Amino acid sequence: MFPSSNRFLLRKLLENGSHCRTHINMQPQRIWGHDVASRYLSDKPLSWSEGSYVKHLPPLFHPLSGLKLPPFLPDSLERYPTKITTLPNGLKIASEDAPGPAACLGIYVDSGSIYETEESIGVTHLLERLAFKSTKNRSHMCIVHDVEVTGGNVGASASREQMGYSYDTLKAYLQGAVELLIDCVRNPLFLDSEVEEQLTKVNGEIGEIAKDPPQFLLESLHLAGYSGALGNPLMAPEAALKRINGSIIGKFYYENYTADRMVLAAFGVDHEHLLSIAEPMLHDLPKGLPVEVPKSTYTGGDFRQKVDSEKTHVALAFEVPGGWHQDKDATVLTVLQTLMGGGGSFSAGGPGKGMHSRLYLRVLNQYQQVQSLSAFSSIYNDSGLFGIHSTTGSDFVAKAVDIAANELLAVATPGQVTEVELRRAKNATKSAVLMNLESRAIVTEDIGRQILTYGCRKPVEHFLQCLDELTLDDLTIMAQKIVSSPLTMASLGDVDCVPSYDSVSRRFHAPI
Amino acid sequence: MAIRKLLTLGRRRLPLLHPSRSASTVPAAAATPSDVAPSTSGPPVMHYDLLVRAVSAKIQRLDNPDSRFLRYSSPYPALADHTPIVAVPETRVTTLPNGLRVATESTLASRTATVGVWIDAGSRFETDETNGTAHFLEHMIFKGTADRTVRQLEEEIENMGGHLNAYTSREQTTYYAKMMDKDVPKALEILADILQNSSFDENRINRERDVILREMEEVEGQTEEVIFDHLHATAFQYTPLGRTILGPAQNIKTITKEHLKNYISTHYTAPRMVISAAGAVKHEDIVEQVKKLFTKLSADPTTASQLVAKEPAVFTGSEVRIIDDDLPLAQFAVAFSGASWTDPDSIALMVMQSMLGSWNKGAGGGKHMGSELAQRIAINEIAESMMAFNTNYKDTGLFGVYAVAKPDCLDDLAYAIMYEINKMSYRVSEADVTRARNQLKSSIQLHMDGTSPVAEDIGRQLLTYGRRIPVAELFARIDAVDASTVKRVANRFIFDQDVAIAAMGPIKSLPDYNWFRRRTYMLRY
Repeated sequence: MFPSSNRFLLRKLLENGSHCRTHINMQPQRIWGHDVASRYLSDKPLSWSEGSYVKHLPPLFHPLSGLKLPPFLPDSLERYPTKITTLPNGLKIASEDAPGPAACLGIYVDSGSIYETEESIGVTHLLERLAFKSTKNRSHMCIVHDVEVTGGNVGASASREQMGYSYDTLKAYLQGAVELLIDCVRNPLFLDSEVEEQLTKVNGEIGEIAKDPPQFLLESLHLAGYSGALGNPLMAPEAALKRINGSIIGKFYYENYTADRMVLAAFGVDHEHLLSIAEPMLHDLPKGLPVEVPKSTYTGGDFRQKVDSEKTHVALAFEVPGGWHQDKDATVLTVLQTLMGGGGSFSAGGPGKGMHSRLYLRVLNQYQQVQSLSAFSSIYNDSGLFGIHSTTGSDFVAKAVDIAANELLAVATPGQVTEVELRRAKNATKSAVLMNLESRAIVTEDIGRQILTYGCRKPVEHFLQCLDELTLDDLTIMAQKIVSSPLTMASLGDVDCVPSYDSVSRRFHAPI
Repeated sequence: MAIRKLLTLGRRRLPLLHPSRSASTVPAAAATPSDVAPSTSGPPVMHYDLLVRAVSAKIQRLDNPDSRFLRYSSPYPALADHTPIVAVPETRVTTLPNGLRVATESTLASRTATVGVWIDAGSRFETDETNGTAHFLEHMIFKGTADRTVRQLEEEIENMGGHLNAYTSREQTTYYAKMMDKDVPKALEILADILQNSSFDENRINRERDVILREMEEVEGQTEEVIFDHLHATAFQYTPLGRTILGPAQNIKTITKEHLKNYISTHYTAPRMVISAAGAVKHEDIVEQVKKLFTKLSADPTTASQLVAKEPAVFTGSEVRIIDDDLPLAQFAVAFSGASWTDPDSIALMVMQSMLGSWNKGAGGGKHMGSELAQRIAINEIAESMMAFNTNYKDTGLFGVYAVAKPDCLDDLAYAIMYEINKMSYRVSEADVTRARNQLKSSIQLHMDGTSPVAEDIGRQLLTYGRRIPVAELFARIDAVDASTVKRVANRFIFDQDVAIAAMGPIKSLPDYNWFRRRTYMLRY
């Protein structure tokens, strides 16, 4: 911006009309007519380019004349049921219909880093990056163009247990979208050039993960806390990148992307219509050999990464036994997380972001030194992690860890949590779930992931009922169960002042 | 001898074996010919031959597509018929005697709703002395009313699991709440209370100054925001749109209760407000409630357009450069004066924005994007990211491109950007326009994913267009844009027009203003 003295000078220049014409950077334009509405009309385009468009299209505040509008949809539409069809090869096609102009499709696969072997460590990460690349029928360029001409959005996500591929589109392009999505998931080639390009990119990003501390700590907690499948890294480590190539990826892909482990989910699509398009492309997908889900053992542990920084990030976590399969426990855990809440000490915006959750009221509002503190959870089919993540200046770390431990112990102590807090957390969880159901993309994902985990889609009423029945005792018992498991710690930044593992662990478990 | 014969046979059969790739269970790499038995007779197989065979085997995998997967999708832009699906729930609008408009779209299948107040007021209606008031007000409105303390207000919202949010832009201010269906009346009552009865406690105001100053620091850390603030400051210098939303720090320190009260009484008037609701709401219920609740609003008939006409925004060709060689990346935005909200050509500009597109290094499209600008940038690796923008205001707009790049490719990047923008006045392909139209239609509709975007759309459209444009009409207007329209509109907004530039970082090699200005036209005889 101009320094203020220059600005003043320029204003002077402007006032002096004869000068400003020669000052090229400051050409004042003609001032438009004062009536805003007629501005367009006063600005006649050049005569040679005057098309019919101008004559027939009025400004946007006038409706187009002669346009026949479709009838309005009725307001009181019920939600459609979720219909599921299982093909003979075991692949499930599930959809929920809905009115409106858009639809969302997704393919979810029961595969992820837990299925990686020593040879294929890091493949899941690469599979995510190689999504929507060349297939047997389409080059990468063709795929990009196919998607672009419809204006749809495609995306892929990898987690430890599930892979997701999604396509959000207008309904007019539905058939093409189903076809493209299936082609990309079913027939990938993993061309050498594409694999190498992604390997280079991933390699370049290895250093960047430390820039996202919550993500880094979550990854570290898994590496330190689990031995076995869940202890596999989700982010491909450097050593693995040197080994991975197209054939390792291909082998992992053909072993895991089998029909009985896949779900095609859709929202906003008629089930029969979807079946008629998708079935011919999916019926011959081979059914895989029965695979045993790899075992993981939670052990607890400590992970520290020293980085030159003034801040220290620390996470304390414990195991949640049972995971998603214990759906009542999973509900209790969600409520517990909302109840503890927390967040950044500085957040813009209005009420409703958990400003009256326990961690806000009891920690963030009391200690200026804590930059952020929040409860987190990461749940899998049969296990999960729950804990507190905090960011502080390095001189306050010891105190912050102490505070986090106190908070975890407090919710595990009967009588500490009040009915008011519980009701607030229950309502917040309930509304969060119902608000999520507004979104096409989230519903599609929910259908796909629930079917992978439970084999069916549980109606939201089931969850709401679990929520209503939940009592303070349930919460305390759950919290006690959690803190009685071994502690896992992870820290990043200036880690010298982080208290030792044993000293923190002693807070939760009496020494033997 | 027999073995020899077998081996030669095997070698000859190799090319026949490879087409077996169509069996999809074969791992992709299983067909690599490295396991071919080395021949001991005949011409020796050289390393080169093996490589050729490996490569051709891989290429061949692309040569035999399965027609099952190529029935519907096509990479060529075509016009799709959206008639069967453009039906949407009705948007009902009621104007109350005091001028307040209530607009709703019901989707009763939903169990949640968004309800909010959209106000035709923002930072452009301030003066140099009061710049920042609209934003300050947005902060103070959640800080307690005559009947509610801050704590009560926050607890009420949080206890029902709702969200209350607000944002201020140059021309609009919004307060909205999101909650479960049964809590809609309560949320509406809270909105009415905070908008009409806020107490603006002096202590609270003083405390909030620090919060806003800290928010200002955060915004200054986001370079994109800073570039666009500078772009507005230079393009609309000495006019109201040139001021920032947050206001200068000096104003934030001195804004008083009087400023806030004045701003509310002048600008939060019934005719300039829209109550918009979407989701599990019934129009009649909302109208009845609003009638009872919003009784204290001023009915001053002055419209925002009248205020704008008094103090119009004027685009000035100019530039701002902030050189900082210590930063790793340079960024700049180059913009032309664009269209106002209601200008029929604003739709064509949206299509043109879509044609220029956006791109970043991590995008999946890579070098294959349809936008020629994106292709140029990706293939020559001359930028980290690029984004075309098209902002509309009541009497003007900004149309241009924002880009981030390493310092050594700024000249190439500037050339690519100006060439592609300029080209729209001369040479436009129908295929590019069709693709851009499809993308625009999709992005508008795909964005409506949930009740909040719908309520936002209703509120914004009622304030800017005075009505909600039916999807069918919007699509018809978009489809009316063809290559000749793009050329005509480019001639109106781009051809030989002044540009505004804002640049930051290591920008020594960014071409000068006249270079940019010269590239808004080509000399063709």
